[in-house]
Amino acid sequence: MRKILAVIKREYIQIVRTKGFIIGTILGPVLMAAFIVVPILVQFVSVDKQEKIGVLDLSREVFMELDNKLDQELKDGNRRYSFLEFRIEENSDQLLEELNKKVLAKELTAYIYIPENISEGGVAEYVSEHVSDFDKQGNIGQALSSIIIEKRLKGEGLDPEKIGQHMRPVRLDTKKVTTRGVERDAGGTFMISFVLVLILYMAVIFYGQIILRGVIEEKSSRVVEIVLSSLRPFQLMAGKILGIAAVGFTQYAIWSLFGIAATKYSKNVVSRFFPAAADFPIPTIPAYIFVYFIIFFILGYFLYGTLYAGIGSMVNNEKEAQQLVMPVTMFLIVPIMLMTFVIRSPDSSVSVILSIIPFFAPILMLLRISILLPPFPEIAASIVLLILTTILMIWISAKIYRVGILMYGKRPSFSEIIKWMRYG
Amino acid sequence: MNALMIENITKRFGEFYAVKNLSIKIPEGTIYSLLGPNGAGKTTTIRMVMNIIIPDEGSIQVLNEKMDDRMKSRVGYLPEDRGLYPKMRVGELLLFLAELKGIQGQEARNRIDDWLKRFDLSSWKQKKVEELSRGMQQKIQFIATVIHRPDLIILDEPFSGLDPVNTKLFKDIMLEMKNEGKTIIFSTHRMEQVEMISDNICLINKAEMVLEGNLTQIKKRYGKNTVVLDYDGDASFIEALPGVEKIDDYGKFMEIKMKERSDPQELLEKSMGKIRINKFEVREPSLNAIFIDKVGETNAQNTRGH
Repeated sequence: MRKILAVIKREYIQIVRTKGFIIGTILGPVLMAAFIVVPILVQFVSVDKQEKIGVLDLSREVFMELDNKLDQELKDGNRRYSFLEFRIEENSDQLLEELNKKVLAKELTAYIYIPENISEGGVAEYVSEHVSDFDKQGNIGQALSSIIIEKRLKGEGLDPEKIGQHMRPVRLDTKKVTTRGVERDAGGTFMISFVLVLILYMAVIFYGQIILRGVIEEKSSRVVEIVLSSLRPFQLMAGKILGIAAVGFTQYAIWSLFGIAATKYSKNVVSRFFPAAADFPIPTIPAYIFVYFIIFFILGYFLYGTLYAGIGSMVNNEKEAQQLVMPVTMFLIVPIMLMTFVIRSPDSSVSVILSIIPFFAPILMLLRISILLPPFPEIAASIVLLILTTILMIWISAKIYRVGILMYGKRPSFSEIIKWMRYG
Repeated sequence: MNALMIENITKRFGEFYAVKNLSIKIPEGTIYSLLGPNGAGKTTTIRMVMNIIIPDEGSIQVLNEKMDDRMKSRVGYLPEDRGLYPKMRVGELLLFLAELKGIQGQEARNRIDDWLKRFDLSSWKQKKVEELSRGMQQKIQFIATVIHRPDLIILDEPFSGLDPVNTKLFKDIMLEMKNEGKTIIFSTHRMEQVEMISDNICLINKAEMVLEGNLTQIKKRYGKNTVVLDYDGDASFIEALPGVEKIDDYGKFMEIKMKERSDPQELLEKSMGKIRINKFEVREPSLNAIFIDKVGETNAQNTRGH
């Protein structure tokens, strides 16, 4: 045990000290925060300029109301849009030509053409140098629609305000019934569970690759036989997997602290920009989901970590490893692809079977647990199977590792690997 | 007391025999060398002793006990395929390897410092392994092999890649350890090193032992059938002289194996005048000659057998 501890210590210190680890650990949350903060900051900091928009209103009914409706102000107090009305004197073609020129000369950002029969289904046009500002175009389109609809309703002798009241949509709240009663759930809990599943997936792949590279490095630098003169191959493999697990634990612990701090303070920050967000409840993870997350995370890590270690021992370099790693990675990708199916029908018999298959269980059973807590026997079955498979894989990998770690040269064929297991 | 006792071990890899029916006894406090051409089975034998590979048949006793993890801390092993963690610092790495052997803390640090000093590597302690030359790395590996003061030291090709100065340093340390009562086993195919320090030898060829025993006795058994000639000139005529069985010519130096009951004096007479003779010596064959002779003999037998 003391020897395994020495290996764990070495793995841990060697990785945690690398620039890659330090940068990755700090940069991770910084990048995540940047994704959220930068767009807000850009909106906050950027100085918008007033846009001049020409309006050619052939119906002669819309301009005033459009000017009244789109009266948003910029931070400097000026109006965001300054509408200029144009009227046709003699030749409409000539005026259109002139407006086009004004747009090209950047005297106008755009102009809006409103046909005479706008109320009877005529098509309005928005003409600009670029038409990629969907936000603005949407605003203008909506304003025009509501102006015209109001006019039509009034023409029929109806009260637009009353109609508006009649037309307001029905609110559909989502609630979750569990053994503890009915709770309001706007999908936030599910989103967090979804994120947990993805974290599990990424962590297993990421740290699995670190294990793989570590084993290959030990092999290609030929240090392994020196180390094995002091301990058994199994101890070396176990120490490596546990040491890298400790690295992962450290990294996630740091990130969690960042996360907790962020949720604590971000609400204040966010609500300064979006007052409405202050009412949005920050979703919490029920404790039982978190416990299952930890269980499946640990089991998944050991199952796949052992496979990666076994593969690392079979190959001479990372290039060779990539071919052998493919099937293992597939075992991780398949459940990710099946996620949408399981989300839609979490208790169908196909979902139940898929989530009990040990290689899929860490992702799919965890997903099912977060959507609709399955009966306990199902969860227990998947955990027991997963533990048994992990033990079996550790046993097989240790045998392969024992022989493979000292074999150099040609990559072994499948039948040779079977033989190795017997040599061990 | 035997430091190592190997009885009838056999190891097959599929159809291929890596080691066949090998038995060796190594008395405590001696230096024993395993000789043999590349691929003879030396490394496989050593790995079986180290419990890295399990023999198919036979038994091995190390220091009168079965080899297991506990025994690993009484044995020092320098493998043939050896390297170090390239990114680790020298001091850290040695500390790690010492910890694996159960030597910890200040005790380990003191021993590491002593050894680094002895090998003139003290200033490299904080450097990364990848900055060291190959020879320096080999010294570090050697330190790792003996840091826990093992009773049995197994060195697989310890001198390969070393310059003469460091070869001598390694040899001196090996002799020192022998004088402390430790047993040293090493494999090599460079005979001059064996002749200088070994007590006993074992010659393996194609998985089987072809010669074993005390070096002095083996040489005596061969008798004084060899002439060593130090000369100048064209000595190609010697091969055709009567009484000459085989020559090993190095240009200025020749080892001549004489036929049984032939007279070396005759050879001397016939050579005088044709070449300039600086030295003429009748003695036992060199280990090199025995090696080539034995390996050639067994290979020929095998070819005939097929």
